[in-house]
Order: sequence, then structure tokens, then C-alpha cells
Amino acid sequence: MAAPCRRMAGRSLSQFLSCFSRTSVGNTGFRQFSNTSVCRESRKTENVTESARSPWTVMAAVCLQRLPVITADCSPMEQQFGQMINQMELEKSVLTDHELRLQEEAERLRRLQAGEYDSDEEDNQMKQEIILAQDLEDLWEQKLKNFQPAQRVNADVDKDLTSAERCLADTLLLLAEQQVGGEKLWLLPQTQWQDGETLRQTAERALHSLPAADFKATFLGNAPCGVYKYKLPRAARTESSVGTKVFFFKAVLSDGAPPAAPDAPFLWLKKGELQGFLKPAYKTKVERFILGL
Amino acid sequence: MNAFFRKLQVSVTQQAFVFNGALALCRATPTIQHPVWTSVNERQYRSMPTNGIGRWRHLVVKVVQKKKRDKHQMKEIKSGSKTTYPTLNVKVTGYDMTLVEHYSNYIHNLCNRLHIKVSDSYALQTKTSEVMLTKEESSRMNIEVILKTHSRIIQLSSLDASICPVFMDVILKNQAEGVQLSVEKHNVDEYHARFKIRSELEGLKSKIGTRNR
Repeated sequence: MAAPCRRMAGRSLSQFLSCFSRTSVGNTGFRQFSNTSVCRESRKTENVTESARSPWTVMAAVCLQRLPVITADCSPMEQQFGQMINQMELEKSVLTDHELRLQEEAERLRRLQAGEYDSDEEDNQMKQEIILAQDLEDLWEQKLKNFQPAQRVNADVDKDLTSAERCLADTLLLLAEQQVGGEKLWLLPQTQWQDGETLRQTAERALHSLPAADFKATFLGNAPCGVYKYKLPRAARTESSVGTKVFFFKAVLSDGAPPAAPDAPFLWLKKGELQGFLKPAYKTKVERFILGL
Repeated sequence: MNAFFRKLQVSVTQQAFVFNGALALCRATPTIQHPVWTSVNERQYRSMPTNGIGRWRHLVVKVVQKKKRDKHQMKEIKSGSKTTYPTLNVKVTGYDMTLVEHYSNYIHNLCNRLHIKVSDSYALQTKTSEVMLTKEESSRMNIEVILKTHSRIIQLSSLDASICPVFMDVILKNQAEGVQLSVEKHNVDEYHARFKIRSELEGLKSKIGTRNR
């Protein structure tokens, strides 16, 4: 019986499948971010022609993030400060053209009703204006009433862990359930590195080889952002395989809404929710590079 | 008159001897007789340890006066190496000027913090676009909405490949609403796009070209 390893129990060296899935059905208005092919130019293929093979299996995983769609709500202190600053700016500001026009017309109407106006002068001016500024304002009010903004917080969608549209104010991380050794574990989608490709290409392959989903992601760089080392339990260790090293690459979900399969084994989690799904040692390594902003 | 001076000299020397004698009694070690300088502004001898003690002009950094006729020189466009990216332009565009400017300031300060070299930070021309809405209810009315697109560019000379994902992640997560971000490679065309076309100069140049033929 293999001594239980504290990190990941019973992980073997078989091929890991990475599954990515889940892209929301409706377009939640992903923000515009374009990155030209600068990143791809400075890629270089690794030279793997070594005489002595390292006993570690190298894998690459992708840390796919869905960035927040709406701004987070302000804390009470921030709200108070915001109100105070707005008040100060309002008091210091100068009237705009529209406001000046409003004032002039109100004044003119008042004079008209009071009967003390110079008919020649006023009539000329009145004839020039087809719409009063006040009428314009009323028109705009009407338009605003007709406009229905989308809901910021949808409690039902928030609870659904598989939906990519939950918690629009936070960044979400993709987790996939993969076969590791004899067990199905929740981890960042990963796949084994093959000869002749760069680690970033391995990570991209991990992303594309996920069944049932087509995620369009932009990788943030050629360098990995984290590493996780796993040593096999003593009984399973051989000369050529001591353990695995997983390199993580950061990616951002770009515009793209592939249909979400209902049975897809994917989860979109916030940083705080990783506790219940990842193994502790794996989680400590992963949390180091996930920015909780 | 002469006798008076002689007497004076004698008395002075006598006093000097008396004084020296007193000094000799007071001090055990012989002292170096420093020569007495007639004026304070004379420079001391170069072997003296206090030579040039009051000099300060050599410590002030010389400010090179920028001539007004100097042409705006293009900064060198670096090509990348194995570990650094070539000269990159981080472009921030949007309709709200305060947001665009604050966000570009944030990126600049972040680069300073992370020791990423910022070679240039400039603004592109504001583009104005008019939106005309046609109302088809009563009469055709064109309501014009004027939208101004502001853009700021921060040029990074050498961005390390190791810091790149961290940097990109931070600026993406802190992106302001209503602001678009794009990172592109810098080239000579983009530099020249900043300048206005001088039609008279172009005309004159073409004339010179035709004349020479």
C-alpha cells in the first residue's frame, strides 16, 4: 500500500486531459482588449536534446480568468467620500451652455407672464428657437425612462457555479475536473508537455483540447507565473519518474461565448471559493499568483 | 622723521621679541610659522590641503539649454531580445478624458513601481465624431451628439518577459470603465502619424523635384 502522500493522493503518470468549458450563452459585454502578435514573436522552441532525461514529468496548465464585467460596489466610506467630492465639484463648477440657456428662457417666460417685455426684441429671439431647453430636458427624461439597464446582481446566476456570468464584479477562475491517476480531481486544466513545443504551446493545447467547449483566450505572456511540484509516493517512484512539475500560464477570456454544455465538468470560481475544491498544497501554490483585486 | 621711525621699529621689534619669548614659554612644541597673507582672495598653494575649499560651481549639474529650432528627434525603437519585448505602446482610449488620463497615470506609476522603463508618454490628437440621429415622428430632426475620443500612449522600452504577465494582469484587473486598452508594437509609421502634414512644404519639395529634372 503506498504511503499516503499529503499532497495529491494516487496520482499516476498517465496522460492528463484538460477540459475547458463553459462560456456564457449571452454576451456579457467583455471588455475590449487587443494584443497583437508581439508576444508570439519572441517565442523560441526549447532544446530538448539532452543526454540525461530529467526524471520529472513536465506539464503545463492554464489559469484562465474571466475579468470582472462591472465595477464593484463602493464601500460605505468610499460612497461618503464620493458624495462629498461631487458636492465640492458642483459648488466649484461653472454653468454649462445648456444651463445658461435654461436660465435665460425661464427669465424670458417670467417676463412674458409679468407683461414687462420689449415686444420687438423678445419676439425676434423667441421666433428663432423652435424648442426650448426645458422641452429638450423633458424629451431626455422620457428617453431615460424607456431605457432599462440590465441587472447588476442576479442572485440565481450567482449561485450557479458552472455559469461564467456569475458574480460580474469579481474575477473568476476556471477549474476542470480531470483524471489524475485513479482519481478525478478538480484542478486547473493541464496537459503533458511534448518534445519540440514551448510550454506556452502546451498550455494552449491544454485549453483547446477541452471537450465540449471552445474558449477564446488571450495569453498574457510567454513566461509561466507559477509552478507546482508533486513527488510520487515512494512505492510508485521509479528511476525515470520521480514526480511531476506543473507550470501555470495566465490567460484572459476574450470576446467569445461558446455554448455551455450542461454536463461539462467545469467550474468558475472566485478566489475565496477555491477552498472547497482544490487540495491544500496545490491551492497554496496556485493562490500565490492569482491576484485578488 | 627718520629717527622717529627707527625708534618705532626698535620698539616694535622689542615687543615682538618679548611676545615671542612669552610664546616660547607657553608652548612646549615649536609651531609652524604660517605666512600672513595680505588679502583674503588669494588662492592658496595647490599642495595645501584646503586648496579650493570654497568651490561649488563644479558640483552644479550643467543645464543644456534647449534651442527652439531643434527638431523633435525620434527615440530609438528597440528590437526585442530573447528575454525582452521590443518597444511597446500601451494605448488607452476613451470618451471620458478624466478617466483616460487617470488610468494612463496609474499605468505610468505602476511601471515606475515595477521598474519597467518608460521611454515616452504622450497624447494623440483628440478625434471628434458627431452622431446624428434622425427622428422620423413628426419632422426629420437631426440631433447631433458630439463625442470626443481621447487617447494616451505610454511607450515601454524594454519589458521583461517575466514581469509581462504580472503587469498585464494588474492593468487589466484595474481597468477603468469606459476605457479601452491595447498593447501594440511601436514602429516608425506610428511616430510619423503624430505629425501634421505640412502641405506647403510638400508642395515646395515636389516643385524642387520637378525643377531638378
